[in-house]
Amino acid sequence: MSDLVVLPDRAPTEWRGTAMRRRIARRYAAERRFRALGLLAVLVSAGFLAFLLVAMLGEGARGFRQTELSLTIDFPAAHLPLTAQAVAREPRRAMIGVDLEGAVANAAERQYGAGGARLLSDGAWLTARDAILRDPDVLGRSITLWVPAATSIDIAAKDAGEPAAEAAYAKLSGRGLVRTVFAWHFLTSADSTDPTLVGIWGALKGSLLTMAVTLLLAFPIGVLSALYLEEYAPKNRWTDLIEVSINNLAAVPSIIFGLLGLAVFLQTFHLPRSAPLVGGITLALMTMPVIVIAGRNAIKGVPPSIRDAALGIGASRVQVVFHHVLPLALPGILTGTIIGMARALGETAPLLMIGMRAFVATPPGGFTDPSSALPVQIFLWSDEVSAGFIEKTSAAIVVLLAVLMAMNGVAIYLRNKFERRW
Amino acid sequence: MRRKGPRALLATLLLTGVALSGCDMSDSAASRDQILAVGSSTVYPFTTAMAEMFPRKYPDFKAPIVESNGTGAGLKLFCGGIGARFPDIADASRRIKKSEFDDCRKNGVGEIVEIQIGIDGIAMAESVHGPHFATLSEADIYKALAADPYGRPNRARTWRDVNAALPPVPIQVYGPPPSSGTRDAFAELILTKGCESDPAMQALKKADADKQHAICTKIREDGLFIEAGENDNLIAQKLAANPQALGIFGYSFLEENTARLRGIPLQGVAPTYQTIASYRYPGARPLFIYVKGAHLNAVPGLREFVAEYAGSWNPGGYLDRRGLIASPDDVRAKTLAQARALVPLDPATVE
Repeated sequence: MSDLVVLPDRAPTEWRGTAMRRRIARRYAAERRFRALGLLAVLVSAGFLAFLLVAMLGEGARGFRQTELSLTIDFPAAHLPLTAQAVAREPRRAMIGVDLEGAVANAAERQYGAGGARLLSDGAWLTARDAILRDPDVLGRSITLWVPAATSIDIAAKDAGEPAAEAAYAKLSGRGLVRTVFAWHFLTSADSTDPTLVGIWGALKGSLLTMAVTLLLAFPIGVLSALYLEEYAPKNRWTDLIEVSINNLAAVPSIIFGLLGLAVFLQTFHLPRSAPLVGGITLALMTMPVIVIAGRNAIKGVPPSIRDAALGIGASRVQVVFHHVLPLALPGILTGTIIGMARALGETAPLLMIGMRAFVATPPGGFTDPSSALPVQIFLWSDEVSAGFIEKTSAAIVVLLAVLMAMNGVAIYLRNKFERRW
Repeated sequence: MRRKGPRALLATLLLTGVALSGCDMSDSAASRDQILAVGSSTVYPFTTAMAEMFPRKYPDFKAPIVESNGTGAGLKLFCGGIGARFPDIADASRRIKKSEFDDCRKNGVGEIVEIQIGIDGIAMAESVHGPHFATLSEADIYKALAADPYGRPNRARTWRDVNAALPPVPIQVYGPPPSSGTRDAFAELILTKGCESDPAMQALKKADADKQHAICTKIREDGLFIEAGENDNLIAQKLAANPQALGIFGYSFLEENTARLRGIPLQGVAPTYQTIASYRYPGARPLFIYVKGAHLNAVPGLREFVAEYAGSWNPGGYLDRRGLIASPDDVRAKTLAQARALVPLDPATVE
């Protein structure tokens, strides 16, 4: 093969010679090595993912379950200054000053002996309150309720507890007075200081409100910028400068946006602290460059022949853009948007700076109410003292992952629905 | 037909986006109907517990918002001024300083009500699998952790270098960062006491107080004292991984984690509820909340919240069950009277 000129009377390639065979063997070996390395890379990343998911789901699944104790409360014997009529007339007001907590503690002591009140969660009386609100007539008789158990019992029921709690649990379960059920309130209530009463809804709602603000600001601004830069802007040094700036903005660490939000939105514009509105604006600043970049790439991918054809039959520039270019680029833009939003959803640092790390015991009612957000809630719970918060933290991570997967699912659906091939 | 979907979606998003960005700026902080508390991460669990209980007892009010950002940062926010965007309550794991009080007054926050809610203890703790220190003295800790103990560079590498009676375990201590009130209290209660056990340092205090303060409270920066952030759980995990190391904790955390951690006695006194409540344990320190006088009438529920707080710190009470150590009876009676009458802090008593 030393001479480059191919001669017509060249001898046929010697496939069986040792040199050739060795070369072929080397090529196959290189191929196999590459395939093995690629497979290894996939296995390693899949392994990490599987480890993360198994660890989180295993721990998190326990966070979604809750141990309950059976408690018989004899309301007439408790002598509460409360009548069924008063509750029926003014439900909330009638309860003020009534020591229902004490009545529940007494009932527990009577049923489970001394120290019985410590088997119950601090919020066990809330179950009794809700039972009274549901049906005020229970005040006239004795009722049996399933109330949340204390953290120590809850941990013992999921077999990892301290010896004393384990013994107490064994005794209770022997008598059939304890059960473990799905903790619905975890999905419907907000933050609490007691791990048996916490819920993720407050933080989830905060995150959803924040994401709504982010989307409504970042999407139109990002898409309009991308369209202008691609379709209208002249190519000169100024637009080059803008392009470089946008690329740089996409790479700025998120904490910087948090500081910006603190300085501009809170201290200059006096917007409310800890509010989803401010969180959303801050995250929109962070998400916008991602949308611009994804949008420009998607618009570049629309074939020029489509523009030419539309212009050729007399469409104006705006008609070309909105009737043809944008609908064809939309799948790419939406994918980029949702990836940017998913990143914003998992962002903690900027939210800490603008005060969305507060303890908020009621879910936010609107965009300006103080609120928490999912990643910040995970951070806060990981910092809690009580051991019961460990599994709740994992459960919150599971919820965050589920929301992220849902968002990615929407991205894939939209892409497949609107995608055009030509 | 197929192109109508994306266009309708797009139009909706664009329109609402423009509408929203138009109204953003006009909707600034109006008056607030929720109490806002900021400050110490040590007081945070107690204030959040109160915040949670408050709307259950008083259905007319919303639950207060509580942020944990450290005593110093909290007081800075608190002292920022008067109005809806400034907090009503500052949690503090030490008393307010003169400089902070002056800052408050400069910004128009003149009336501050100081309420001592209870006591916490600062404890050195080891993993239950640790070297099992029998006891430490303030001087041992000072010599092990100060940057320049008694003015000379710190060369101690093991606890035996500090005191021949201690085990030959390398010095390695995880503790809170300087922004933390726990760190301030640690420097004041333990390091300064250990430092002033040397008569020369007491003499220096009279001669050059600033220099003495630096020598007594500056912690070594050669890697043997490790700042571990405000997250106590993280420190506990590090101790489990490295049982030779020690950690600095508040007692309320220690009490909840007896399965993992063992508090090391200080001067032979173990950190327990009784020893801290009687101040016999040297690392005991009071915890405070500061309430803004000017907000008492403006923020609905603030008076009721303070009264409720004051009703919950008795032994066996709601906060006691959550790990707060009740103050001695006489202090409690005095602070209860203060909380009821909402007497402003006397500037002369602030140091």
